[in-house]
Amino acid sequence: MSFLRLLARNRLALAGLVVMAAVVVLALITPLLPLADPDVTNTADRFERPFGAAGLLGTDHLGRDLLSRLLHGTRLSLAVGFAAALIAATIGAAIGIVAGYYGGRIDNVIMRGVDMLMAFPYILLALAIVAALGPGLMNALIAVAAVNIPFFARNIRGVTVSIANREFVDAARLSGMGDARIILTEVLPNVIPVIVIAMSTTVGWMILETAGLSFLGLGSQPPQADLGSMLGEARSALISNPHTSIVPGAMILVIVMAINLLGDGVRDALDPRLKSGALSRPMPTTLVRRETPPPAPAADDAVLEIAGLKTEFHVRDRVYRAVGGVDLSLKPGECLGIIGESGSGKSVTALSVMGLVASPPGVITGGRVQFDGQDLIGAPYEVLRRMRGDRVAYIFQDPLSTLHPLYTVGAQLVEAVRAHHPTPRAEARAHAIELLRAVRIPNAESRIDSYPHELSGGMRQRVGIAMALANDPEVIIADEPTTALDVTVQAQILSLLDDLRRERGLAIVFITHDFGVVAQLCDRVAVMYAGRIVEAGPAAAILTAPAHPYTARLMACVPELGGGRRHLAAIPGLPPAVDRLPAGCAFAERCDKAQAACRQGDIPLVAHGPGRSVRCIAPEPAPEPAPDTVTEAAE
Amino acid sequence: MAGYIFKRLVSAIPVLLGISVIVFLIMAMIPGDPATAILGSYATPENVEKLNRDLGLDKPLVQRYFIWLGNMLQGDFGRSFSLNRPVLDEVLERFGATLVLAGTAFVLCSLLGVAAGVVSAARQYGAADKAITFFVLLGISIPSFFLGMMMILIFAVKLRWFPVSGMWPIYGARDISALVGHLTLPALALAVVATGVIARLSRSAMLEVLRQDFIRTARAKGVRERAVVWRHALRAAMVGIIPVLGIQAGFVLSGAVYIEMVFQWPGVGRMLVDAILKRDILLVQGGVVFVAACYVMFNIAVDVAQTLLDPRIKT
Ligand code: SF4
Repeated sequence: MSFLRLLARNRLALAGLVVMAAVVVLALITPLLPLADPDVTNTADRFERPFGAAGLLGTDHLGRDLLSRLLHGTRLSLAVGFAAALIAATIGAAIGIVAGYYGGRIDNVIMRGVDMLMAFPYILLALAIVAALGPGLMNALIAVAAVNIPFFARNIRGVTVSIANREFVDAARLSGMGDARIILTEVLPNVIPVIVIAMSTTVGWMILETAGLSFLGLGSQPPQADLGSMLGEARSALISNPHTSIVPGAMILVIVMAINLLGDGVRDALDPRLKSGALSRPMPTTLVRRETPPPAPAADDAVLEIAGLKTEFHVRDRVYRAVGGVDLSLKPGECLGIIGESGSGKSVTALSVMGLVASPPGVITGGRVQFDGQDLIGAPYEVLRRMRGDRVAYIFQDPLSTLHPLYTVGAQLVEAVRAHHPTPRAEARAHAIELLRAVRIPNAESRIDSYPHELSGGMRQRVGIAMALANDPEVIIADEPTTALDVTVQAQILSLLDDLRRERGLAIVFITHDFGVVAQLCDRVAVMYAGRIVEAGPAAAILTAPAHPYTARLMACVPELGGGRRHLAAIPGLPPAVDRLPAGCAFAERCDKAQAACRQGDIPLVAHGPGRSVRCIAPEPAPEPAPDTVTEAAE
Repeated sequence: MAGYIFKRLVSAIPVLLGISVIVFLIMAMIPGDPATAILGSYATPENVEKLNRDLGLDKPLVQRYFIWLGNMLQGDFGRSFSLNRPVLDEVLERFGATLVLAGTAFVLCSLLGVAAGVVSAARQYGAADKAITFFVLLGISIPSFFLGMMMILIFAVKLRWFPVSGMWPIYGARDISALVGHLTLPALALAVVATGVIARLSRSAMLEVLRQDFIRTARAKGVRERAVVWRHALRAAMVGIIPVLGIQAGFVLSGAVYIEMVFQWPGVGRMLVDAILKRDILLVQGGVVFVAACYVMFNIAVDVAQTLLDPRIKT
């Protein structure tokens, strides 16, 4: 039902369906219509024009009524095309099921044969078959069907293999059912939908193919005519009487196009990726649709300031609030940690800074990102592009997927430099080698020509760091750069980053889910939960005395600081889905100290001791004097 | 690399043998006495006897196959009775013309198809994307022989921009400009369908790649969007597009049969159709095996191109 609805939503597919239905109905009732006999020749009335005295579409080179011939030809072409599709599907499916079900040697031999058949340009095979059997519509049908059998066999075999290993087939086998019965009762019903889809996408093709053979004079023989042979016969009069060619040709076009539209619609309706919009291409910058004016910039010494940032994901009619109003500021030379579970919005916050959140589906709906005296939210693409990698650089997690797999690391480093500073290639290359040395890659001169897959995970991440350093940026945003690495490499990368930061006076935003990392690297830390900051302050102070119950829990699940990769799943329950945030504290579901007041109204981020703030109505007592000022800023 | 090419060539041997077996078996389906069938109207008793001697047609099937294979390996594809000349000579001559036509069409559809797919993906849901999607749909739905006829009507008959048919002018110099003039319409007509398919697959390959993390990295580096699309994304998408090009080459070769008929192009496709209608079995057999073998070799070249493009493939 929902499938039909999806199909109906696709207007083009619907149009295809309507046209196809009309053509089929017309073909079915053709014998009942008051038409002239399609085969009666009348040489006196040759080549009558359409809309003239001799019928709606005129007559052909033998004076036969074109409308009648067109409808009868359509009938024949459709019948032959469908028959060919049916034969190819049946035999192909049988072969595919046998190969997939039995596997092993049988499968091997059959699929070898199928591969050989597919090694032919398809028409050669069809021509050879027609040559052997002799020209004729039936033989053309057999040839077209035969040529398409390998396609079906291969498709169906794939599906059968996956079904043949499922439990219910095993169960049937154990219960002593014979192979033939299992195939008929367990496998076939599961394969039929695939067969139908494969048929719906190939039937247009088959109609085209049989028409083609008839066009060549190898299919239907006079006086019988399908659309292809009508076109073939009309060809000699193409220049003098084009209408006899255009009529059957346009009909083939209409039929095949309707079938293609319908087939596309069926495929789209069945492909779940299209439904979720996952096949959308991310735009060069994140979409910005601010619902409220951005907050005024706070004039202070921050190099980067985020205020009231809101980023959402719009997937069809649902809205996921990934970041729900985040304030952060980064001072020159400072390292700010953002910590939270996956899905807490920490990465989205980081990516929003330079408009790198994939969009669609991402939309920045509010806030300000103040850098270099201007608001970057909604800044023109070219402004962002000039800053990206030059003044604000990113280091991403898992450099195997974030480095381009087909370019050498040298080429990628050179590109990073040249994107902003036009330098001669040789010079840029020398700079790239320097960068590789700076991130302590041994044999930089030879490593520069390696491809990412030839390097170890740690080396790749060093390349990622080198790339971020390429233009001496003021800010580096590192999005879990060590998560994919093992413990010892992680420690090396962290100390490398720490050294670089001190040497070059970099300001770093470090996204992580690991308190050990925060302890080692960060001056200040912000803890995120469900898209908001729940606690912020000096790293040392928070690590010794967490104020928010969530922070405390997060730290409690860390067995030892600086240890390996770990998941924070040790906290009972899951973070709330960001499309259904509860009223009040988002952590209430999982909090031991939750009380009725926690679930009412918005809980503000309030100051909590020197330089600290917390979003909780019952925080752990601060070691210093009690909070006296209320603020929404994470200072 | 040389070792890899050699390995691929060796692996083609069973495929080539398989092709010869399939063609041989299809031809063995011809009912009646093979020599009579092959000779058709030329089946005088002397001719039948001579053919039986040459091809061993009175011997059992398996033996006949090896005689045929042995002859072919020595370059003897038999003699065409309708043309009264060696099959191989005729096939080679005709195949040259087909290569000019299909090769041009292949280059055209590869360039146009990939470019259209990239633009379409880069401007997803934009005006260019919609226009391209529409033309792609039209392209894959229109029978190439009908398109060819319409092109003749419009560009050759009405506008007189190009000659109506043939490969060379009947009178006049056989130079490159004459060839280009004659080639334009058939090559375009032949390229249209494959362009549509390639554009479609290139579009989805590009959309797939544009979502990858390394594209975000390129953007985070501040690479210009044009370079992100054409340098980063297309390079990675080509890995998926190249095999499609290989398959489409087979479709272009197939479509050439129709286009050669429409434009009276003296290629191997028209030769095959004529041979079938004249029941010149040896010519069909030889032509099919020869062209199929060339196609297998072409696909090896595609595989080699693929390894050159993707350093991750172990050679
Ligand atoms: S506000 Fe209430 S529920 Fe939320 S963390 Fe604090 S005590 Fe727990």
